[in-house]
Amino acid sequence: MLNQDPVDPSLIQQINDLMASGFEIPPEKLVPSAALKELGLDSLDAVDMLVYIEDKFGIKVEGEKLTSLRTLQDVYNLAAEAVSKSK
Amino acid sequence: METATSTTALVTGASSGIGKAIALRLAADGFKILVHCNKGLERAEAVRQEILAAGGKAEVVQFDVADKEAIEAALNAYFDAHKDEHLDVLINNAGIHSDTLLGVMTDEAFDSVMKTNAYGAFYLMRWTVRRMLRRRRGSIVNMASLAGQTGNPGQFNYAASKAALIAMTKTLAMEIGSRGIRVNAVAPGFIETEMIQTIPGLEEFKKRIPLGRFGTAQEVAGVVSFLCSKDAAYMTGTTLSVNGGLYPA
Repeated sequence: MLNQDPVDPSLIQQINDLMASGFEIPPEKLVPSAALKELGLDSLDAVDMLVYIEDKFGIKVEGEKLTSLRTLQDVYNLAAEAVSKSK
Repeated sequence: METATSTTALVTGASSGIGKAIALRLAADGFKILVHCNKGLERAEAVRQEILAAGGKAEVVQFDVADKEAIEAALNAYFDAHKDEHLDVLINNAGIHSDTLLGVMTDEAFDSVMKTNAYGAFYLMRWTVRRMLRRRRGSIVNMASLAGQTGNPGQFNYAASKAALIAMTKTLAMEIGSRGIRVNAVAPGFIETEMIQTIPGLEEFKKRIPLGRFGTAQEVAGVVSFLCSKDAAYMTGTTLSVNGGLYPA
């Protein structure tokens, strides 16, 4: 299970910025409940996204959790968890 | 050819033999070369100088491919300092052998060959692919071996590591083909390098080669050059044999 604690809004914003610029997703579609598949993201995009998150925040994301990512909220939670563990 | 001036090619094990020939050839093709070595720093530097003298671009990077932390430290440091460069080509050439019959093969002999030849390629492909995904381009060539295609008595560990490279090549090609990243392998047979000088009965092997001679490192490098070029734009997941017809695969 991914961490369900509230995610820092600035982290959400940075991930959304990546989605908008790196994957050309219209900002209005970037809502927490949005399914990655419906945003046009496949598993390789998820890898790319995690690499970005790792590089951006200098953290290590658990790659094994990649397959559990379904929605944007899952991505926020995974990133938040990794940031939290790195502190 | 994929020869934009900002493109960089990392050739592991490039201080001698086939790796050196590949480094020189890709430099002539227009790539900036990261001449990798582990222990052969002086020889790697000589390769760099040879590339520079020919009007090419090159830097030396030194690390043990079996050490993932060392790989990440060296490559992260290099590309942090050269933010305008992108690694568009990776040639996994570094390899060792420790030959003996299985009945007397030590754990260390098996581990060390697998760590350098198979794990080393794995670590480098993982590091590289993570960066190539964003750029949606790139070419990876894994240097396999005839031994990995046919097996070879006395090379239980080496043949296994090279067969692993062929399987990795096929699998990764399937995984990342959709991003325009190509992954291929080259399987040399008997090539005139230091590595084959220790093979007993070498001349006998020559009689079995349809083309009647050993290959040269330059002939292998030419095939690698092709795989990294736009001429091979529709090729991925394949293993090209460079063996004089010894094993027509």
